[in-house]
Formats: sequence, structure tokens, C-alpha cells
Amino acid sequence: MKIRPALLALLLGASCASPSPVELMDPPQDGKLRIIAFGAHPDDCEWAEGGAGAKWAAMGHHVKFVSCTNGDIGHWGMAGGALAKRRTAEVKKCAEILGNTAQVLDIHDGELMVTMENRRTICRLIREWKADVVISHRPNDYHPDHRYVGVLVMDAAYMVTVPYFCPDTPHLTKNPVFLFSEDEFRRPNPFTADIAVAVDDVIEKKLAAMAALESQFYEGGCNGGPHLVPDTKDAAAVAARKKQVRTEFEEYFSGPATRHRAALANYYGADAAAKVRFAEAFEICEYGRRPTPEEIRKLFPFFPAK
Amino acid sequence: MTRTTGVLALWLAVVGASCASPGDVSPMKAPMPAPAQLPQDGKLRIIAFGAHPDDTELREGGAAAKWAAQGHHVKFVSCTNGDIGHWNMAGGPLAKRRAAEVKETGKILGIAQEVLDIHDGELMVTMENRRTICRLIREWKADVVISHRPNDYHPDHRYVGVLVMDAAYMVTVPFFTPDTPYLTKNPVFLFSEDNFQRPNPFTADIVVAIDDVIEKKLAAVEALHSQFFEGGANGHAGLVPDSKDETAWAARKKTVRENFSKRFAATATKYRAALETYYGKDEAAKVGFAEAFEICEYGRRPNAEEIRKLFPFYK
Amino acid sequence: MASDKARIIVFGAHPDDCEYVAAGTGAKWAAKGHAVKFVACTNGDVGHFAMAGGPLARRRTDELAKCGRILGLTSVSLDNHDGELMPTLENRKTVVRLIRDWKADVVISHRPNDYHPDHRYTGVLVQDAAYMVTVPFFCADTPHLAANPIFLYCDDKFQKPNPFAADVAVAIDDVIEKKLDCFDALESQFYEGGCNATADTVPGDPAGKAARRKKVREELRAAFASKADKFRKQLEKRYGKKAAKIEYAEGFEICEYGRQPGAEELEKLFPL
Repeated sequence: MKIRPALLALLLGASCASPSPVELMDPPQDGKLRIIAFGAHPDDCEWAEGGAGAKWAAMGHHVKFVSCTNGDIGHWGMAGGALAKRRTAEVKKCAEILGNTAQVLDIHDGELMVTMENRRTICRLIREWKADVVISHRPNDYHPDHRYVGVLVMDAAYMVTVPYFCPDTPHLTKNPVFLFSEDEFRRPNPFTADIAVAVDDVIEKKLAAMAALESQFYEGGCNGGPHLVPDTKDAAAVAARKKQVRTEFEEYFSGPATRHRAALANYYGADAAAKVRFAEAFEICEYGRRPTPEEIRKLFPFFPAK
Repeated sequence: MTRTTGVLALWLAVVGASCASPGDVSPMKAPMPAPAQLPQDGKLRIIAFGAHPDDTELREGGAAAKWAAQGHHVKFVSCTNGDIGHWNMAGGPLAKRRAAEVKETGKILGIAQEVLDIHDGELMVTMENRRTICRLIREWKADVVISHRPNDYHPDHRYVGVLVMDAAYMVTVPFFTPDTPYLTKNPVFLFSEDNFQRPNPFTADIVVAIDDVIEKKLAAVEALHSQFFEGGANGHAGLVPDSKDETAWAARKKTVRENFSKRFAATATKYRAALETYYGKDEAAKVGFAEAFEICEYGRRPNAEEIRKLFPFYK
Repeated sequence: MASDKARIIVFGAHPDDCEYVAAGTGAKWAAKGHAVKFVACTNGDVGHFAMAGGPLARRRTDELAKCGRILGLTSVSLDNHDGELMPTLENRKTVVRLIRDWKADVVISHRPNDYHPDHRYTGVLVQDAAYMVTVPFFCADTPHLAANPIFLYCDDKFQKPNPFAADVAVAIDDVIEKKLDCFDALESQFYEGGCNATADTVPGDPAGKAARRKKVREELRAAFASKADKFRKQLEKRYGKKAAKIEYAEGFEICEYGRQPGAEELEKLFPL
């Protein structure tokens, strides 16, 4: 949770020369990568980049998942503050599983708009995380919240390097690499897999995260219904439902591996790529820094040496 | 469509009984939003959104008349009131005049219509407007939603496109705008035809021959007197003959009619190949007038069979 | 057009954008007696590593005035904060009024694809003004234009969702030194490095300073030269065999939302 400068000054006592909040929260200079991902709802980051996130975290890199809305209409039976709290707890559980930090913004689900205030919020979050890499949705997607996260993050690209834009947070001297997570939409232009990551080694973690997002998958989210949820006393039915969710995700997460076999071969070599069962793909956003192939390998230290 | 109805009724009965006590804070026991109760008359329900009181008539007036003739329910919504759309009249008086015009076209085509009280040229992408569109789609219990693509010369057209896309899927979310019952199925969303190429051109996924209703469509064009006979925002006094000069008046009507005949015929020419897909080569060759639609990726994707159900015009 | 003289207005995001994309063509138009106006839709007030706010806005306005004198045209900025341009109705009306007051035949601006949000939203605002400038009762306080102007996009390098495609290119060899002189005048942005520079960007000693000035000028020269290569095909269409020798160029793409000029009209409109 961001500590406002004024409050911090107060806490420290007016007579002290108060250090800037960012100095206190200054990330360690530990040579590790810093990745921040923005999703629309408390489940989008986990779904789209949970695998890469777990791989980065396992190597000691710093990953943060931000949900730009609190997901408070994302269920068929619960809504409002109660659901927001529940979903926040779910992504915190995911964070324990995957090894990232999670934050949920207090913006109503279904109501994310492209405003200056939201642009500033995103800018501050990227700067405070001192991100090397920023991931978000493309601005083509069936859900308006996804699209507007895409627009807002694009609107923060480059601006994070401008010192007097949001001068209350120190600017980044390097524009991060901005990436889009995969989607299936073709108009006005289709997703391009510039980078493909095999996530077989962390698929159990990713599936565990999907299981932890109980309100969304086990219970079916906003388009679900009570018919999906077996009586908790019926152990067999509960196990069957859990298995159904897991199986559906196994199939879904294997899609990118099939679709992006060529991109995987580019990074892993044809033989290893052929064996990959689960993958995540990313497109390089033109508004961030453009990484060279060498830099891609530095930012995704998952690929075997060439 | 009715998957949840039976189970839901049972659930609500259970919940209703246990919900009586105050202080019962279990969220799962709170009254759940109800899905829209769909009419059981076996007829389709189509809603189209245009920017101004004439856009839907021009772009889908033919398909609308065909649907209506078969007893299906069609509604046209103008997202602005068109109140700057004339070279001489504006404000409230023009808005009222244009509302009357689309009431008339509604009668001609056999459809319902509504005009929103938003100023022409000032349609913005706001939450309020998104909710309005969502409510209209839900209240109409739409199977099909038609609107503009977000590429177009007119900002109102573009922002209707954006607003309707922003309502796609959200119409199925129970707690979004919970004051209207949600749809259990995301409608099929379609875009009407336009000529713009950037960033990407229109694709004619569905084409409808409208020869059998072209007279109705041209009658609707005629009824939109302020826009076409009088020339709308870019017109001028020179276009409008003396009402006592019957010859000149008839000539002007003829010009308007011919211009639009040409325009509606151009669609048939341009999308002859798509017409062949739906009508076969021989019949397609004879089609004089058509309307074309592109499937929006954010709505439900109909397969070939469902397209024929939603457009019951093909043999 | 009323006479054979055209009236051109260019909208850029910041006080330097119009110059970057159209200074050469603008100078050539001005030299032929056409009326050219450059408008920066923001005042550029976060565009420096050390100065900001009002003082920077004023400094950048002065820089524009210098550019205007060099090029023989009017170059101004609007009082909107840099980095905060939103496609609001109020901004749309401002753009409509500016186009109408200038009685523009031609309007040029950014495409809505670009790394900078101010560039994108300038592009959106100008698109949103297209056609509306002809509607009498939109912004009824300014007389409408009888004809929708020709709208064009200036060049950018972005590919998604679709790449820039030049419909016309202009050789600017005869005015390249003037264009480069503008960038010398846009001191806060280029010599001093703008918002991504540091205190060390400009050397302390006079020799170092002179070297820096030269370096900046040559880097920009190279950038403007690369456009000649980028638009070689379009240059060949207009200049024939002479195209091979052209060293510097600017390119423009027709926007679908303005009046669509025929090839002949476009050819006559843009200076050779």
C-alpha cells in the first residue's frame, strides 16, 4: 500500500528531514529483475502470466501483480465489498503459491475508465516498483476493463521516464520493456507471440493458483451459478468439481504451446520445443523500450544458452 | 438460454426462506439478481444502435423490415438526438422534428424505436452511457445487437461503436447495472457496413438481399426529410424548392431516391461473393440491393447454422 | 479553396512536434505565400529535466515564436498541461474552433498510434474535429467551414495496429538548414535534451558547448535524411529521376475522415 508523502512526513515528525517515501521503500539493489504486471481483475495476471511469474520468482526476481479493479461484480451470487475482500484474499493466496507480491486497486469492476487519475496511479506503481518489465492486456479484448487496462498502461509508457510527470515519484531513467499478454482477438490486428515461455516446470503452481481463485473458477465467477457448486459435505462431488476445473485449465494452458511452437523453437530449439506441454506468450509493445534478442534473454532468463 | 431458470427458481426459494432474519450477513444468502425472463413467442429480438436519428435506418433498415415482416422484434436506438444535424434548425426543435421522423420510419419498417437525450456531436465514452446501452440491450432481451464500427469519419459513430463494444459481455454480468435483469447469453454483436480501411477494413461476414423491402427502405429515407430532402447539417436553402412548385419538389424527391438506390445497390455489387455464399450464384446475381454486417469479436460468435437462424432470410 | 493560396494548420502534441514533422513543408508553403499555422496542443510544461511548470511553458512558447520567424509561419501552443491531454469534448471544441478560425483547407496531425499519449490523443482530438468543423450548429459561436478540409497524418514509425503509409512526400533539401535552425532554437528540447537529459548533458566549457550544438544538429540532420530513404517511392512518383538525389524529406498520409483529394489535387497542393 502506497504511503502518501504528507502522511509519512507526519509520522516521522515534522522536524525530521523526512526521506522520500520511495527511499524507504527503495527496492534492494540486488541485481535481480523487477517485473510488474497489470490485469483488469483479481485473476487476470495469474491466468496470463502466472507461469512466467513463478519462474521469475523461483530465481529470486521480483514480481508484482496488480489488479486494476477489485473484481466486485465478478460472481453470480456475491458482490460489492464482500466479494472484493474475498478476491483480494484469493490473489494473496496465489501470491504465496507463485512467489509474487499482489495488489488490488480500489476501483469497481466493470467501471475502469481512461482518466488522468488512473494514468497517474499506474505510472506511480511502475515507478515505485522500479520495473524493468511491464506486462498488461492489449487494447483489443472482449472485456472493457481489459481494454482500458491496456490503454492506461500504454498511456503510462514513456511517461514513467518524464521527471515532472507525477513529480511526487522519482522517474525511471530507462523506459521499461512493455509486453502484452496473449489474447485471441484479431481485429484490428491479431496478437503476435514475440516471446514464448515454457511453463511445464511451474504448471503445478499455476494450477494451484487457479484452484485458489475459488470464486472465479470452482464457483464459476459472474456467469456461474449454484448448480456448479456441490455440497461441501459431498467429498466425492467436491473432488470431481476440482478435477474438472483443473482438467479444463490443463487443456487451456496447453493451447499456447501448440499455437506458438515456432516461437518456442526460436528460444528453446526445435527438439526441446516439441516437448513443451504448457506455455505463455507475450508481444512486445511498441511504446516501451525495444529489447534486442540478447536483452530478451536477459529479461527472460529461462531459455537455454544458444 | 433457460439453463439456470429451473435451478435458480429452486435456489431462490431456498434462499428466500432463510433470508428473513436481519443480521444474517452471509453474502451467499442475499437475494441474487434475476436473469432476464425471455419471452416464449419463438421470435428473434434485434436491437440496433446508431449515432443519429437516421443511421440505423440507412444501415439496417432493410434487414429490420425483413425481420419485422416475419414477426420478429426489432428496435432502433439513436444514441444522440440529432440536434445539430441541420443547416438551419437546431436544438430542441430539431430534436423533436427528428424524433418525429424516426417515429414515422418506425411505422414504415414495422419496428420500435427510441431516441436518447444526448446532444448530437457530444457523445462521449462515459460509464453513464455504458450503463444506458447495457440497460437498453437487456430490456430488449436482445439476441442480436448491431452498431457502428469504431472506425468512421464521425466521432458520434465511432463512440457508439466503442460504447456498444463496452456493453458487450457486460450485459451478462449480473451485478453490473444490477437494476436490470442480466442476459444469460451474450448476444451476437454485429457491425454495420462502412468504407473505412484504417486501421482495418470492414469485413462482410453476413450479407442480406433487401430487394423485397427496398420500397420500404426508400420510403424511410423519404420520411427522414430534414436529413436528405433538406440536406441535413451540410445542406443549404438552394436544395429545397418552393413547396408550391410541385415539379421541382418531385424532382428533388427523385434525386434523393436515386442517390440512395445507388448507395444501397453498391453494397450488393461490392459483396456479390458473400451474397453467393448465402443465396447461391444464380440468385445472388439477381440481387439489386443489399445490407452487410461484420461479426464483432466481443459478442457471441455464431456458427454458420446459427447465422441462418438469426437471419431467417436464406433458403 | 477560395484563391490559389492554401490555408494549412498543423496540430502537434508539444512545442516542437509540428516542427519535427512539418517544418520543411511548412516553410516551403509559407515561401509560396500560403498561410501556415502550427499549434502545439499542450504547453510542454513537463518537458525538461530541470525546468517545469509555467516558466518552462513560457520558455517553450518563446522557442516556438523563434521557429515561426525562421520558417515564416505562425507557431503557438495551447494552455494544456504536458502529459495530461485527454480527448474531452472541451478539447474537441477548441480544436474545431482553431480549424475554423484559420479557415483551414488542410489539417495535419499525429496518427492515434504513437508511443506518447499526448501524440495519440492529439490525433484522436483532430479526428474528432474532422467533419464536425462543417456542422453549423456544432460550436455555433464560430462560422462553420463550407467544406471538410483535407486531413493528413504526419509520419511515425509505429506498426500496430497498422503502419504509417505515406500518400505524398515532399523534398525539403532547399529548406533543411532552416528546419535545423528551428531545432537549434528549440534549445530546451534538443541542445539541453528535454525531459530525459541530466545536468551533464550540456558540457560546461565553451568548446564542449559548441561541440554539443554541432552534434545535435548533425543527429537531427541524419534523422531527417532517413526520411528521404523511407519515402523514396513516393518521391519518385513526384520528382521522377531527380528523386534519387533527394537528401531530406517529409511524408504525409491521407486521413479517411477528411475530404478525400484526388491525386492531381494532392500533387498541386503539396510544394515540390
